[in-house]
Amino acid sequence: MNLYEFEGKEILNKYGLIIPRGLVVRRGSDFAQAYIDLGVKDAVVKAQVLSGKRGKNNAIKFCSSAQETALACEELFSIQVRNQYVAAVRIEEKLEIAEEHYLSITYDTNKKQPVLVYSQQGGMDIEDVSDNQIEKYWADVRQEKIESTIPGAQELWRCFLDSDCRLAEINPLVKTKDGRWVAVDAKIALDEDAVFRHEDWKNLEARTMMGRKPTDREIAVKKIDEGANYYRGTAGKYIEMDGDIAVLFSGGGASIANMDALLNVGLKPANYTEYSGNPPREKVYQLAKIVLSKPGLRGLWIAGGVANFTDISETFQGIIDALDEIKPEYPIVVRRAGPKEEDGMRLMRACANRNNLKMKLFGKETPMSNTAKIMAEMLNT
Amino acid sequence: MSILIDQNTRVLVQGITGKEGQRATQAMLDYGTKVVAGVRPGKGGEKVLDVPVFNSVAEAARMFPDINTSAIYVPPFAAKDAIKEAIDNNIKFINTIAERVPIRDTAYCLAMAKEKDIRLIGPSSLGYISPGFGRIGVVGGPLVEEIFKPGSVGAISRSGGMTNELAWQIRQAGLGQSTVVHVGGDLLMGTTYADLLKMFEQDEQTKVVIIFGEHGGSYEFEIVDLIKNRQYTKPLAIYIGGKFASVLPQGMNIGHAGAIVERGKGAKEKEKALSEVGVLIADTYEELAELAKPYA
Repeated sequence: MNLYEFEGKEILNKYGLIIPRGLVVRRGSDFAQAYIDLGVKDAVVKAQVLSGKRGKNNAIKFCSSAQETALACEELFSIQVRNQYVAAVRIEEKLEIAEEHYLSITYDTNKKQPVLVYSQQGGMDIEDVSDNQIEKYWADVRQEKIESTIPGAQELWRCFLDSDCRLAEINPLVKTKDGRWVAVDAKIALDEDAVFRHEDWKNLEARTMMGRKPTDREIAVKKIDEGANYYRGTAGKYIEMDGDIAVLFSGGGASIANMDALLNVGLKPANYTEYSGNPPREKVYQLAKIVLSKPGLRGLWIAGGVANFTDISETFQGIIDALDEIKPEYPIVVRRAGPKEEDGMRLMRACANRNNLKMKLFGKETPMSNTAKIMAEMLNT
Repeated sequence: MSILIDQNTRVLVQGITGKEGQRATQAMLDYGTKVVAGVRPGKGGEKVLDVPVFNSVAEAARMFPDINTSAIYVPPFAAKDAIKEAIDNNIKFINTIAERVPIRDTAYCLAMAKEKDIRLIGPSSLGYISPGFGRIGVVGGPLVEEIFKPGSVGAISRSGGMTNELAWQIRQAGLGQSTVVHVGGDLLMGTTYADLLKMFEQDEQTKVVIIFGEHGGSYEFEIVDLIKNRQYTKPLAIYIGGKFASVLPQGMNIGHAGAIVERGKGAKEKEKALSEVGVLIADTYEELAELAKPYA
């Protein structure tokens, strides 16, 4: 999960890194009052988005009065920054900058351990800094301390490990004219799989990187995989998209291959959804019901490979429960195989019959990608 | 021959009394794999499917010193301790099926394993199978005989469901498999494509390898170096999913944990780099078996 700058800074600060004095405003806050409360003359007003080059995209403003700050906030809340939704605005003190450095820790997938990356050329994208100006230090997660005298490195190391980060980046790490090291920006990505040892993560607001607020359906689906049995199968993945073909895919790999296949036949997905790891009927029912609740659907494609251990009968019954309630009138194409496939297919066929659904069912004899073509043909006739 | 499994494979199941552990034990026994012991703290002395249960890996290893493979069936929050216990007891192959293991825990275990030359397959790996020799985990499920038969095609997949699906495509093309491995979809892979390709290179039974890859991460690029250095010289066909993801924002995560949208690491870039060193590229995963057929 990617964090907003203000959330990242709170975490960095907890581990002893200095951050600029500042506060966060939302839509409808009193922006002028916030400036007065901060009590500085020169302020930096920064749009809070999940990614994006804010400096180059007019998402950071410099203000010297309450009125200027209010106008800047109004403007930032009215734009998108490289297709990212502006969730909040952080107003903070402008520093007297002497130097801008770069510091980050992330996982090196080749060495399978964390790597600390440092450069004295901060403030720009690290990709744009030449290799001879970048220093890399490989570490081992079992180390208490990182062997480095780079300012902020120890604090960032503890932060990276203890907060289960996938990425912790400070760019720029600023040296002020009075000699202090300050984290002027923060880009932190948390490893959501560590949620069981981070109770506080549950309080983080819902987010999506799709350039808008998360939809009610996205928020509702996420809740399916919460609770004590969070790891018993996955059914909590749903991203709303612009198209009109609802999809219920099984398995991460199949879902990726099928998204490609759907676009290849000229159809557009209404959502991205994947369930896997043998989720119980109830989880699949909740997921299917939400997927089918999107208005304007023209088709439903239920597809997965030959399952290893996911019970086709059990998971199909979850989908059937939703189909019995909603009774869609548009074409439905199903392709699935695996344990208890005969049972699952029989139940699905019975559901189609009793609800007069326009459904075609396929097993493992028909390649998955071909059933995308069949969906396209059904829509064209 | 085959890779990872042979006639000397003796398996321990950690978390054998749980629902998933029991099912995996059954699946392995049904396919002729020698599961000799299980572990569940507090349930030592019991039996699951006639397999004796011990309180710790150390106890099991004392009784069965020929155990060389452990299959880990515990919840994600217990995975690190379970893997650590297997490593402490020098079990050479550790297959971790647990999904959603925190990256830090995986890195911890991988660092330990490396020092002792222990091979970890996973996390999030359903296991691997060498038709005729046996299987670790539930790969193939109950349809295993319909899908798998001994042959000359090696297969590697990031996705569990697609592991079976790939094997089925091989079978439908009239071919058989040497070893089929689900490496798991995590950010950190205990055993990578490159690790397995080196083993397939040495394996006489394997004549050609097919891979189901995904956008995100750098593991497919390791294959390029391997081929350039001539550490892998057999024919290789690959499908890389996730072309649609190129329109999504950087840093977004779609599919598996390791499938992150990153600049320069999309499906298209990977295909280009691999094609330049002679790897056959499949437009759909169904084409993989056909591409492999002339070499099998």
